[in-house]
Amino acid sequence: MMAARVPSRSPRIATVVQFAFLGFWLLFLFVPLYWMFITSIKPSDDYLAVPPVWFPDEPTIVHYTAALFTYRGLDGLVNSLIVSISATVLSAIFGTLMAYSLARFNTGGQHLSFWVLSQRFLPPIAIILPIFLIYRVLGLNDTHLGLIIAYTVFTLPVSVWMMFAYFRQLPRSLEDAALVDGCTRWQALWKVAMPLAMPGIVAAAVFAFIACWTEFFFALILTSRNAFTLPTIFRAFIGFQGAQYGEASALSIVSLVPSIALGVLVQRHLVRGLTLGAVRG
Amino acid sequence: MAEGAAGTAMAAADLKPRRLALSEWSDRNFKYLLIAPAVLLILAFSIFPLLFSLWVSFVNYDFQIPGHAFVGLKNFEQVVSDPVARWSLVVTVILSGSSVIIEFLLGLALALVMAKTFRSRGLVMSLVIMPLFISPVIVGQAWALLLQRPFGPTNYVLSQLLGYDVTISWLTQAPWNFVAIVIADVWQWTPFMFVILLAGLTAVPLHVYEAAELDGVGPWQTFWYITVPHIAPMMLLALTFRLLDAIKLFDTIFIMTGGGPGTNTYSSSFYLYTIGFTQFHLSNATAGSWIFLVLTLIVITFLVRRLLKPEAA
Repeated sequence: MMAARVPSRSPRIATVVQFAFLGFWLLFLFVPLYWMFITSIKPSDDYLAVPPVWFPDEPTIVHYTAALFTYRGLDGLVNSLIVSISATVLSAIFGTLMAYSLARFNTGGQHLSFWVLSQRFLPPIAIILPIFLIYRVLGLNDTHLGLIIAYTVFTLPVSVWMMFAYFRQLPRSLEDAALVDGCTRWQALWKVAMPLAMPGIVAAAVFAFIACWTEFFFALILTSRNAFTLPTIFRAFIGFQGAQYGEASALSIVSLVPSIALGVLVQRHLVRGLTLGAVRG
Repeated sequence: MAEGAAGTAMAAADLKPRRLALSEWSDRNFKYLLIAPAVLLILAFSIFPLLFSLWVSFVNYDFQIPGHAFVGLKNFEQVVSDPVARWSLVVTVILSGSSVIIEFLLGLALALVMAKTFRSRGLVMSLVIMPLFISPVIVGQAWALLLQRPFGPTNYVLSQLLGYDVTISWLTQAPWNFVAIVIADVWQWTPFMFVILLAGLTAVPLHVYEAAELDGVGPWQTFWYITVPHIAPMMLLALTFRLLDAIKLFDTIFIMTGGGPGTNTYSSSFYLYTIGFTQFHLSNATAGSWIFLVLTLIVITFLVRRLLKPEAA
């Protein structure tokens, strides 16, 4: 991902301390994931055992079937896929178009690009109430479409800024050559710039997808029985009245595997993704 | 038949210049057409809601009561005089401040280790960044499982390690509920600091270190006088981005403590959510969210000005 460049010139003890710290961090990282996974395959009888059951003698998948079917995890999964993929595609298209305009024509100058960036830091609570009220009038509450629009807007700053940074790196000479050869501006964009920018577009889209997939706040308020996404199902487990530890864990595992897999795939672009292109990484 | 064919031909002849005109027009306004969908979406679903909520915050907006009577600053007064609102602001500052500082220090330490070359560094890298791709809801869930009495093994392990019986209710007992929320946040977002700081570290030119080594500069001095100044802009960037996200804190609180016990762990977002969506005091909630927005804007303006300084200099 990044070249390791700081020379290791410190004394041996310092190195040992540093790697011990790294080891502790990996342990800290690992423990909640391990416990969650074990809980998801642990029979309910083992829940309250003292000492705790670190690995169940008889692993079970009953919590997975319960989470997917009794708690409608499968519906949530399908809804999450529909909403996240649609919003990602829209965000990637609109974001790329805008980024191209910003990068090549400096449209709106700095003001427009920073205005888009500022949307990234807008607290969702500040806009969710009016959106909820507007959706109520439009009949968009608890629909896929409503959440898709909300997620498209909420991922646009990331798409625009990541692609803005990407287009600025791409030489414009090829597009100029296409224009000289008689292409229209649209053709130059569609046939020359887009294919060149495709790796950047894919990376930006993956980050947008992960953002939608893991989003909770908008989904909590804008959906209920119909268009609910995977993260909102965890409402059912709050307080653990029925002690559904296994179901909650099983659902977590189902939800986190795809996003981690995608994230690790694009980790080369992670710095750009986290800083919206401000840092090249 | 003949008439029809002639008609089509005429229509085609008519269409051609029109299509040309259209394409000329679209080429002329190319750069504006490109930004139109994104800008319109943001205007419609971000700026318009903000203006709409400004109106709501000055009227009495209630599903039960017909009409929207103008009430001036009454909604704002009610929020400001609500002790829970003020407490939630304190909670937001405490939780986001402590999380961000701890994440920064741990992220920096991790970045310093990972800036070295060692075997399986690539694998470790992939592991360390994993929490960034997990929903905060699930992170909160995982830590709730681990900490919760009597299910979670944390108290058992602590009792074994410390040699006496530990019975902490991590999610319902102050100040441990704060500790629990901070731990979950640190677990998830330390990699954020780490990734950005590592990018900063690897961008420091190697010859600077070589020069320092030749001059016999010690490791601490190298760190303070070479590394820190070089990555200072990255540090500011990481802190700013992270802080602006941290003050929105909602998901982990929702899952882990539900704001409880009582209103003890209400963050600002959680408070506004509660009065807006469980008590349906819509006007109070919008008034409160405008106050929160203005406070956020002050933080943004302050931090972004600092952020832009090193580049200007």
